[in-house]
Amino acid sequence: MTGGRPAVSSPHSSLFPLGGTGQGEGGVRRGVATLTPTLSLEGRGRRKRRRLGVLGLLAPAAALLGALFLYPLANMAGLSVRTKFPGAWSYTAEHYAKFAADPYFLRVTQTTFLLAIGVTVLTIVVGYPVAYYFVRSRSRYKHLIFLAVISPLLVSIVVRTIGWTIILGNEGLVNALLRALGVIREPLPLMNNVWAVMVGLVHVLLPFMILSIASVLGKIDPALEESAAILGANAARTFWRVTLPLSIQGIAAGSILVFCLTIGAYITPWWLGRGKVLLFSTTIYDQILVIIDWPFGSAAAMILVAATLAILLLYFALIRRVGRR
Amino acid sequence: MAGGTARRRRAERWLGWYVAGLLFFLALPILVVIPAAFGPDVTLTFPPRGLSLKWFKNVVDHPEFLRAFGVSLAVAVVATLVALVVGTLAAFGLVRHRFPGRQAMELLFVAPLIFPAIVYGVAMLMVLNPLRLTRTTVGLVLAHVVITLPYVLRTVSATLHGVNRQLEESAQILGANRWRTFWHVTFPLIRPGLIAGATFSLIISFDEFTVSLFLTGPGLMTLPLEIYNYTEYTIDPTIAAISTLLIVLSVLVILAIERFLGFEKHFQL
Repeated sequence: MTGGRPAVSSPHSSLFPLGGTGQGEGGVRRGVATLTPTLSLEGRGRRKRRRLGVLGLLAPAAALLGALFLYPLANMAGLSVRTKFPGAWSYTAEHYAKFAADPYFLRVTQTTFLLAIGVTVLTIVVGYPVAYYFVRSRSRYKHLIFLAVISPLLVSIVVRTIGWTIILGNEGLVNALLRALGVIREPLPLMNNVWAVMVGLVHVLLPFMILSIASVLGKIDPALEESAAILGANAARTFWRVTLPLSIQGIAAGSILVFCLTIGAYITPWWLGRGKVLLFSTTIYDQILVIIDWPFGSAAAMILVAATLAILLLYFALIRRVGRR
Repeated sequence: MAGGTARRRRAERWLGWYVAGLLFFLALPILVVIPAAFGPDVTLTFPPRGLSLKWFKNVVDHPEFLRAFGVSLAVAVVATLVALVVGTLAAFGLVRHRFPGRQAMELLFVAPLIFPAIVYGVAMLMVLNPLRLTRTTVGLVLAHVVITLPYVLRTVSATLHGVNRQLEESAQILGANRWRTFWHVTFPLIRPGLIAGATFSLIISFDEFTVSLFLTGPGLMTLPLEIYNYTEYTIDPTIAAISTLLIVLSVLVILAIERFLGFEKHFQL
């Protein structure tokens, strides 16, 4: 394996795979580039033109994200420390204080992050074997398995949530089955609770986890596992000491995606929770569009971003420790 | 050794069953929608207690669904075109060049992917509102370009990494200038990545909900939001009927892509 073990120390590199599959490969490619005649003849003028070239390539995307992503966020941060909007105002931190002092918002925050952690853990546990099977399978139907894995992403969000309503609703599949079997007489209230929301989110986010893990698993040289087996390790030990540590990067990348997408999700919790499951996203929606308190809503949004960032940093530190093991 | 192989094979069979079960879980919510759309009852019932096409007729009787479909499609197509051009340029810049600040650039370009959609929606509302761009197609397109850009960038970058640069260098040694090299060598090599990125972008934009929630309103609705609005008053099989139509659309798109590309090779998240 030329690349050595995947660079566990930087969990970014597989979530943001723009830098190549690993340092090793990039290094090789750069090595090739310097050997080629076009580049070795490169003079100062040529190099300058190359630098201008990079600028031209990156400027549109940078301008776009600067104006339509960074600026809106900065603007929102500014709004969150204004006493009121619109109208005359002065700087204040009262919105942040109000949020921190209110048990309702604290409960919402707690539910949101517990839900996000739950969904992330569930997608790892449930999705890992599927990723493993997919990577190792030599089945003729591999492309069909792939399609089935990403099917939740290919159909509309509306289809998915309605599907779950049909399955979990009072007149739905599960209740009909249980009633036919004589287990229950009255329908079980399976919808409008945090479990239904969790099932719905796990369903739609599983593809992200499975594909993230599969993309890293696919790069592990099977010879490593075979060596472990030849050296006497049983299947469980091989998995635990070889396969899992090597794929931790994929788990990390998948977790970040799933965690963040859960935090930002609005429609699935709304639909499957129907007002019974109050999350951070529903709170922000209420503050901005129902109560129309923009400064407070902005402060809440900033807190959500900060909390998410803090958890991600903690997670990075954790992954790095595990990777070094 | 023989006992080990037998045990191994048994484990593999169990894994196969597990995967089959999980794929069933993934497909189930999609599969139950179709029969539910043909049921005569007013509630979403499974299994349906009869056969009726009236809910499909009801879809057709609501012109706002068709209008919203048009808005969604237009926004998705325009946003995808912009994201494709901007994202491909950026992919070239990031993959082919080394410069200080490159990692920070990368991070910025894919940040919208993991940024909480609800927060981005709020932030965009606050910027677009004073410009009178909320409830306009322009505003929606601007937001959707940002949302879809990471998907295009990642797919195109992944393909670009796989391009053998010696092919391009050979073309240049043989006398092709940079544009000829691009059109006749590089472009054909990255075309699968471009198509995959465009498909991804179209799907993401067409299905976008949370950010659009803040930028739409009476007069301008995307399809997911129009359906969401409908369900605020009634939940009947009309939405199952629309869902069935959307599933048919998805299947057609998938078949087309399968035919032209082969799916799993080019799709990376």
